[in-house]
Amino acid sequence: MESQRGPHVLFTYLQRQKVLGIYRTMLRTIRQVPDQADRKYLRDWARQEFKRNKNASDQDAIRMMVSQASRHLEELQKTLALARS
Amino acid sequence: MAARVLLQCVRSCARPSLRLCSGNLAVRAAVIPAVSTHRPLSLAADRQRTRWFVRSPILSVGVLCRQYSDLPPLTLETIKDRVMYVLKLYDKINPETLQTSSHFMKDLGLDSLDQVEIIMAMEDEFGFEIPDAEAEKLMTPEEIVQYIADKKDVYE
Repeated sequence: MESQRGPHVLFTYLQRQKVLGIYRTMLRTIRQVPDQADRKYLRDWARQEFKRNKNASDQDAIRMMVSQASRHLEELQKTLALARS
Repeated sequence: MAARVLLQCVRSCARPSLRLCSGNLAVRAAVIPAVSTHRPLSLAADRQRTRWFVRSPILSVGVLCRQYSDLPPLTLETIKDRVMYVLKLYDKINPETLQTSSHFMKDLGLDSLDQVEIIMAMEDEFGFEIPDAEAEKLMTPEEIVQYIADKKDVYE
């Protein structure tokens, strides 16, 4: 029983760290948005999305949301880089 | 205006030659005369550019000084006040139940996402970045105060 539970717990822990990492990077990226109203809107949006799905337990769903979040993050970073150049 | 036109001109000349540098030698040799005819132009632009560079650092230093000069010196007490102030403004924390020793998750009922937001708010307040590995260990106001004091070299 223990040997079955061990890896699963570790996996959940790693996934949780990953989600928190994305959340942190996202908030940091949003902080660079120049316009204050946009910044507030984006921050509220990110917060809501993460809070809405915080109780998700289906592994596939979580994986899908993680990749979706990284895609959004990438898009945001690209747009910011374009706006700055 | 004239300087800008010059710069534009030099850039448009410099770009093809740069690309050719990584190309083969024969092509480069053919380009050398073309580049050398533009030398006087680029020299003039260089002089213009150095003048810009000399002027800009002085300006930015002046601005920096003005921004930071009127901050009060940090002490453990002021750090603690600012940390508690930021925490009280956070909408999910009840200011009445907040103690310096209260654990964000166990005592205040926050989740790990809220904790991330709190740390980000601290970064905003104190103006420096807290690395992820350190950020996830900070669970009470006391620990945050201690961490910031260590980072800013503040002792009693």
